Amino acid sequence: MSVLDLPRLWRPETHQALFRRILDVAARPGQIADLSDLLDDRAAALAALATFCDNTQMLADLTGALSDTDLAFLDVRTAPVDQAGFILARGAEAPRFAPRLGTLDAPEGGATIVVMLDSLTDGTPLTLTGPGIAAQAGLSPSGLAPAWLDARARWCADFPMGVDLVLADQTRLAVLPRTTKIKGA
Amino acid sequence: MHPVDTMGQTREGATYGFAFLDEDAKRELRRAIFKAVCIPGHQVPYASREMPIARGFGTGGMQLTLALLGPDDTCKVIDQGADDSVNAANIRNFFALTCPGVTGTLRTEAASVIQTRHRIPELPLRADQILVFQVPYPDPLVVVEANAAKRRRMHGRADYARLWVKLYEDMVAFDEITISHRYPTRINGHYIIDPSPIPRFDVPKLHQAECLYLFGAGREKRIYAVPPHTDAVPITFNDVAFAVENFRDKTTGQRHVCRRCGADDSFLDEFPDNDGARVFQCSDAAWCDMRLDRREAAE
Amino acid sequence: MAYVAIRGGADAIKGSARLMDALRAMGQSAPLELDQIERQMPLLHSKVLSEGSLYHPRLASLALKQSLGDSLEAAFFLRAYRSTKPRLGETAPHDTRTMRVVRRVSAAFKDIPGGQMLGATPDYLHRLFRFDLMDEGPETFDQITRDWFGNRPNGETPLTFPKVLDTLRAEGLLAPLADSDEAPFDITREPLIFPVPRSAQLATMARGETGGLLALAYSNMRGYGDVHPTVGELRVGYVPVMVPHPVTGKPMEAGEVLVTECEIVAMFEKTDDGAPVFTLGYGACFGHNEVKAIAMAVLDRAISVAKDKGRIANPSEDPEFVLLHVDGIESMGFCTHYKMPHYVTFQSDMDRLRAARGKAEEAADAPR
Repeated sequence: MSVLDLPRLWRPETHQALFRRILDVAARPGQIADLSDLLDDRAAALAALATFCDNTQMLADLTGALSDTDLAFLDVRTAPVDQAGFILARGAEAPRFAPRLGTLDAPEGGATIVVMLDSLTDGTPLTLTGPGIAAQAGLSPSGLAPAWLDARARWCADFPMGVDLVLADQTRLAVLPRTTKIKGA
Repeated sequence: MHPVDTMGQTREGATYGFAFLDEDAKRELRRAIFKAVCIPGHQVPYASREMPIARGFGTGGMQLTLALLGPDDTCKVIDQGADDSVNAANIRNFFALTCPGVTGTLRTEAASVIQTRHRIPELPLRADQILVFQVPYPDPLVVVEANAAKRRRMHGRADYARLWVKLYEDMVAFDEITISHRYPTRINGHYIIDPSPIPRFDVPKLHQAECLYLFGAGREKRIYAVPPHTDAVPITFNDVAFAVENFRDKTTGQRHVCRRCGADDSFLDEFPDNDGARVFQCSDAAWCDMRLDRREAAE
Repeated sequence: MAYVAIRGGADAIKGSARLMDALRAMGQSAPLELDQIERQMPLLHSKVLSEGSLYHPRLASLALKQSLGDSLEAAFFLRAYRSTKPRLGETAPHDTRTMRVVRRVSAAFKDIPGGQMLGATPDYLHRLFRFDLMDEGPETFDQITRDWFGNRPNGETPLTFPKVLDTLRAEGLLAPLADSDEAPFDITREPLIFPVPRSAQLATMARGETGGLLALAYSNMRGYGDVHPTVGELRVGYVPVMVPHPVTGKPMEAGEVLVTECEIVAMFEKTDDGAPVFTLGYGACFGHNEVKAIAMAVLDRAISVAKDKGRIANPSEDPEFVLLHVDGIESMGFCTHYKMPHYVTFQSDMDRLRAARGKAEEAADAPR
């Protein structure tokens, strides 16, 4: 298949555009990236994985949402959840796993967890502070089980180790880096 | 075997993909940038591709910029604050060659991505702008520890005692902290970074800024970041204030001004003119031009 | 009031490129042909192939031509070109016993199975000028090749040869080769974060700059270290490259590459079962470059010795010191970058110096 025939989600120019929007909201936790003009009806969570994954990366899909075709295009290796650099999970289900947290020498080894939610704006308001946020910011995810925030607090208790979350509803993303402190919910 | 041609061709018959690097290289850079932003100040290792421009000439900065740029970006490249310095001109030519559609600009306010060597622009950058630094030495601890593995351990534990000792020794010897550029700066209360060879004058611009700062070391193969609205504090002692270059004339006590635009608050280049007299001029060429434009418009 | 914006950097660069070309084209000499470089300067050509870490003989010649003979620059051209090539796949490890040998010697034994084959080497020639080389024409080349091929007996020399060190292994004097499933470290995909595995060590040196490797190895040979090597075998020849067939997966020969390989035998050490054995140092690179292969083998051993002893006594034994400083592209680039403008940092330095001098003056003037 020539590159020109690729579905939009898998084209290099789409990945560049996706990356810029993800970077913007990773640098500014609380802000939301609207990806709808890039997705062609695919899920924002998949778009996040498509931006970063290739055959050097390991993914644990806890949702079963990825089709065989998606996995082929991601070209990613599957791995157990405690070894994967990327984890795909559902916000509605309390996390019962121990993700990679990185080490003191190599904290970048901490996993990136893409969490699929109902909405980024209809839920309980959370107050966010930390790098990237002037004073404080708000985010109101809906469909994120409270156990997620407890688990995240545990995983990120020993900076610089921790995990970085990408929250995704059908068309939008927000990022919670390990440095963001959360109050509320 | 990946179904996508890793050259990421967007035009039929092109021999290089958009932005020169193949998609695997761009993805690796983007993963590293993402983690760097999530762990402010931490040096994230990456493979670092060779570029057609020599190591030491900004390949780290270039790889970051090439991973960022899309056809709707406007890009500015400066070296020592000047767009037309040979190094900046060379890099700008490379971007024009390999990133069709990207607009080049000399104006700071028009750029979405700015690649810089040794200066932060005088004009405060906005939230929609990214500043990419070219970095020769990513690690501030290299002055006190040659071994990379030991340095990594020190950073993880935020154990910077030996750096403090070095500053103390400076005070004892010279009654001054003699570090001029590459001033060690603490990010978000943990990692101390080498902010690249920017002068002290520019260090305060890192603190609680609107824009994102990305740092790329090509030869040393590290990427780090200072996100917006993040504490960036140059390290010093409680009783030793962090001082910036003041451009004060020793005899008259007056602060030198730019001979072109009259600015008395910008970082100045000092050099001898053809008659041997000392002259001073804004290092940031675009800033100087903008001030002159405003003056002309007002006249 | 009009002002003149000071521009000129871009023009200077263009002018520089044109001048380099003009210098090349001036005079009476005919343009260099790529064949001339590959055939008549094969050892310089080999250096570029190996340091560029891309086996493309034609482009290596072009690189030397375009860089006006600067081997560091030429290697850089190849390296940058390689950087853009997509990764099509990986081969299995290659056994150099398959090498079609053109030169093969051992210092460890007077004679070896298959024989010592001197091949084409300047080692035992006198370094006296042959002034007749100043005046060669195409007919000279014709005569030389006619003389060489004219009376050759039909080839009875075997194409491949056994490894000398297999003899030592058979006798138990050298540790047997360990079977390893470990994937080789890919230095083009991951940066070196120490400690690194031996495959990273060897790969880094295989594309390292000859002079850098030589200086460090020489320091060890002279006494900043104690490898005390004997060349067990040095071989030069063409190794067939076996690439998995895209459909069947079966290894198929895609071509051959010129390789220099050196195995040195060094001081003995105790093994786990108590009996001591000789230790091995390994060096290999693209092209014909014996100094590099030997230096690499000495450094391989030096670093391994220090790793085993847990003690680094000399720079040539320190993996960080060796591996981070032998890449010609990186070292040349950084050295060259000092010519770039550094006047802002210098301005900053002047500020600090003036401040410190000011303090010194205050101290001198202060009443006692």
